Amino acid sequence: MKQILIDPITRLEGHGKIAIFLNDKGNVENAYMQIPELRGFERFAQGRRAEDMPQITSRICGVCPVAHHFAATKALDDAFNVEPTPVAKKLRELMYCGYYIYDHILHFYYLGGPDFVVGPDAPAAKRNVLGVIEKAGVEIGKEVIKHRAYGQKITAMLGGKATHPVCGLPGGVSKGLNKEEVKEIETMTKSCIKFAQFSLKLFDDIVLANKGYVDLILSDPYQLATYNMGLVDKNNKVNFYDGDVRITNQDGDEHVKFKANEYHKILGEHVEEWSYIKFPFIKDVGWNGFTDGKKSGHSRVGPLGRLNASEGMATPLADKEFKRFYETLGGKPVNSTLAFHWARLIELLYATERTMELIKDPQITSDKIRNPVGKPGEGFGVIEAARGTLFHHYKLDKNGLIDKANLIVATVNNAGAINMSIRNAAMGLIKDGKVNDGLLNMVEMAFRAYDPCFGCATHTLPGQMPMEVKIYNNKKQLYKTLRQNM
Amino acid sequence: MKTIVLGVGNPILRDDGVGIHVARQIKEKIKDSNVIVDEAITGGMNLLDLMTGYDKAILIDAVNIKDKNVGDVISFPLSSLSTTHSDNPHDASLMEALELAKKLGQENIPKEIIVVGIVIKEIPYIFGEELSPEIAKAVPKAIKLALKEIEKVMINN
Repeated sequence: MKQILIDPITRLEGHGKIAIFLNDKGNVENAYMQIPELRGFERFAQGRRAEDMPQITSRICGVCPVAHHFAATKALDDAFNVEPTPVAKKLRELMYCGYYIYDHILHFYYLGGPDFVVGPDAPAAKRNVLGVIEKAGVEIGKEVIKHRAYGQKITAMLGGKATHPVCGLPGGVSKGLNKEEVKEIETMTKSCIKFAQFSLKLFDDIVLANKGYVDLILSDPYQLATYNMGLVDKNNKVNFYDGDVRITNQDGDEHVKFKANEYHKILGEHVEEWSYIKFPFIKDVGWNGFTDGKKSGHSRVGPLGRLNASEGMATPLADKEFKRFYETLGGKPVNSTLAFHWARLIELLYATERTMELIKDPQITSDKIRNPVGKPGEGFGVIEAARGTLFHHYKLDKNGLIDKANLIVATVNNAGAINMSIRNAAMGLIKDGKVNDGLLNMVEMAFRAYDPCFGCATHTLPGQMPMEVKIYNNKKQLYKTLRQNM
Repeated sequence: MKTIVLGVGNPILRDDGVGIHVARQIKEKIKDSNVIVDEAITGGMNLLDLMTGYDKAILIDAVNIKDKNVGDVISFPLSSLSTTHSDNPHDASLMEALELAKKLGQENIPKEIIVVGIVIKEIPYIFGEELSPEIAKAVPKAIKLALKEIEKVMINN
């Protein structure tokens, strides 16, 4: 295979920028997506009060503020040598489930779903939530809005604000729940469980009942046999808030299980000259370029990664769906990138059931919501952001100020896999220099499934994500540019 | 007329947060109970949520508009924008969110949305709370323009 240098495109900036390199026959050799990494966080954090980190880090990302908030809070528990009270842990997890409810609903109905509900061949202008409503009906639209709002309300009742919570403190939380609030959450959650079941039924009716879609899910360009990573509880069931990190291999067996403070022993970071991203890989497997399989240390995170890395869901309805998922798609692990969407809905159901379990816990209204902190030191926090495993690591000085801070965010954990998925999708659609019209759609579907967050600014007026694909020939000359929403 | 003024952006991402810097200063100047000034470190659906229940919304945000110079300040109705890009792939666009709300019969969305835009050079990718000198210079201009928009409302109240 011919090696292609990519010097001309040094460290691409900008969002949704994809470079595809062809070989001398005009077929795809490599593809890269630039996921802009926000830089300078360590320097920014240095010298700040450690207690401010949950608020500061929740501003890093417009997509997962709640995940950063609690990853930081958990790292502070560790850094200040304090175990949160049992009820504080439950309140955090309860709030965290609220975040999953609204985040997963948003992704399925607004972002990922349109590809299926409206159809992968539909024009880009139709593949959005309005297209979904057109097809599914106004009443369903109202249900979507209502339950997304319920998720946000649950988060806001505990966190102060739905988008940028202020409740996490080392050793606990700042606010408990009273009986009226418990009742209100219970009513909303009941409705959310039904809505999650409805969403899975919708997926059945629209996607699984359509042979064309099932074939697409199982088609070669969307398969990727990486390792899988996610947090699990002591029974190896999926957990969003707490537990050990488990990595499973291509046979579905456990490769390693580790605690947050061991992440740098298990995961290495590979640097490519064209990107600011440090690509994580499993150290004892090694970096083997952008390839999948057992000899390549890439792992996938997020809904599919979590399900593959676990042995089930900890709630009954979701666990039933978990089993059906693997029965339908041919056993564990499922390597189809498009199966992320289905996995996400199973997680939505789990989040609603888990919320109900927590809100019915008689302890939940207890006022023992914080333990006193110890002396400052080093702390590690790990949590499952909706889009994958998120690590925070701080070193504090003796005054409780940040000396060192390091974060590995979910989309970075998926960065290698996203590049490979884009390359594989492109391979099927560029043959002998001929570019198929469906390229943009299929490439977008490939990375959309991961629900990535790019650098996470909230800058400027929100709109459709612009996407630009540049195709280069084997002499590294620009051959073709395709654009969407630009 | 109930009005919300929102500084939009990320306050720890340099020039991206210019809208927040402007909103913070405006908040000190406004003493009208019908005019609420707040910060929005968010976009799309969440941004619409913050505007819900108001008759008019004024968004102060960093913008990237061709044919304009860095540091220029302009105001225009949101509806006049032909394309709006977000750096946030996990959200519907504000336009989409608005259209959806209308389609679903939601009545309490603002009838008028005005944007006060500060033209920035590029999206900064390095953390920091400081504005670049040319954008810092634009802040007083943006405050003046936003206040002019707010005055229009107050006259009608």
